[in-house]
Amino acid sequence: MPQPIRDARGKRPAFYEAQGLDQAMSMILVLASEFATLRERVDTLERVLEQHGIEAEAAIEAYQPAPEVLKQRELWRQAFLRRLYYLARKDAADAVRGDTEARFRETIETIARG
Amino acid sequence: MSVGMVNIFQQADHPVLPKPTHDERARQEFAKALKTFVQQGLLPGLGPVFEHRAARAFARTHGRPPADRHDIRLAMTRDPYFQHYAATNRIAQELLWESVLDSIERDLPALNARAAALSASARAPLEIDPSFETPRYVTAIDIHCMPGGYAGEVAPGDVSTGALYDRGVYLYAMGYMGPFNDDMGRSVVNWLKRHMPDLRPARILDMGCTVGHSTLPYKEGFPEAEVIGIDVAAPQLRYAHARAAGLGLEVGFLQRNAEATGFPDNHFDLVVSHILLHETSGKAMPRIFRECFRILKPGGLMIHADLPPFDRMDPFAQFILDNETWYNNEPFWGAMRELDQIALARDAGFPDARFDTAPMAVMEFAAGAADYADAAAVAEREFTAGEYAPGGGWEILIARKPA
Repeated sequence: MPQPIRDARGKRPAFYEAQGLDQAMSMILVLASEFATLRERVDTLERVLEQHGIEAEAAIEAYQPAPEVLKQRELWRQAFLRRLYYLARKDAADAVRGDTEARFRETIETIARG
Repeated sequence: MSVGMVNIFQQADHPVLPKPTHDERARQEFAKALKTFVQQGLLPGLGPVFEHRAARAFARTHGRPPADRHDIRLAMTRDPYFQHYAATNRIAQELLWESVLDSIERDLPALNARAAALSASARAPLEIDPSFETPRYVTAIDIHCMPGGYAGEVAPGDVSTGALYDRGVYLYAMGYMGPFNDDMGRSVVNWLKRHMPDLRPARILDMGCTVGHSTLPYKEGFPEAEVIGIDVAAPQLRYAHARAAGLGLEVGFLQRNAEATGFPDNHFDLVVSHILLHETSGKAMPRIFRECFRILKPGGLMIHADLPPFDRMDPFAQFILDNETWYNNEPFWGAMRELDQIALARDAGFPDARFDTAPMAVMEFAAGAADYADAAAVAEREFTAGEYAPGGGWEILIARKPA
């Protein structure tokens, strides 16, 4: 099955001096695009429901989540924040272990010597 | 671009335009919106940042203010505001192509079959030359960062990069090319009707026609004329031919090089091009002018529509436009704007070439489609470098071959 060509030829310029920032910016904007796309889908969903006689906005505003639903949602939020801050978790673990860049290099040199 | 105008411009459908799913369309609209935001939200800050921050930093380092667009570039590329502007602009371009490729990938074999069927039904010719040598200035890098470039093919009879261009350029221009992407051709036709109402061309040639979007208005404007589009890229021509057939217009599409077209001497009444010249090269451009002279009938007209040359704008505007060279894979963009086109035309045999402005045809779009209701606001604008179609018009180089 033929696939269209995805990458344009010609070296991409770097816009930022800080290493990795070009890629970080592109990922941020892809996320912005996905967020906007998801939001648009939700908007379409609400309008389609309306066409079928369901006033989605009013129903959404009137919706009262049961305690079980409240619990699910809070669990999701906390899990989401843990995922968002995984590097902070890693950084703390490094600190507790006394892991530093110097120690890392030292480990490599030691193992290399045998 | 009028502040406060909300851009809801939509592309007109036609049989070979890729059809997006709901979410693909949302991503495409986001790419269009991001381009709009860069122009309306980020671009206006460049001037003040340059004046108040980057130029002063440059003066502190170099002991003198920035003198030309090269100095301005040196000053601005160090400034974080410009870095964000330029990076966002480039990413918007990349997201734009990505969002269209998703639609094409899903539909590729069916798209090619549909194009082949439409072409088979058309009376106007499609000529693809299997031994054609695409010039290096088209194949060296993918212009506009369009993956595959104009000439990339992934299957026999492939039209995918043509489809990519047709939908992509609509988003790139944020809809300002009109629902059929034909604003440039339409604007030139309108200019001709206004300035030369007695013109009755029998044969019209559009050089570098790509998907024929600016070619078709000439057939609409001069229905008795034989209208031909040439390009060096086979997938663009195949798509153009199918596209014209789907839109019910008889226009021939031939794979020829504008530097040496193969047409007889004294053959055409009107030879035109739209944003072709800046995608050729230093050597090709004079050859194209000479070829125009050769194939035009005595008394015939040559019109090239493009963006204005550098000498018609200030150094800061030059710097902004020059970003296309560095960041949007437009290798000849900057150099082209330094050429004396009047002199080139004179050397080719045209004694009195001149520049004029062909106002954008947006008023027609406003009349034709509800989502283009606000288009008229675009028509009367000041030139602002970095904006799409700055100044609400296209710069045309017009020259007549002596009778």
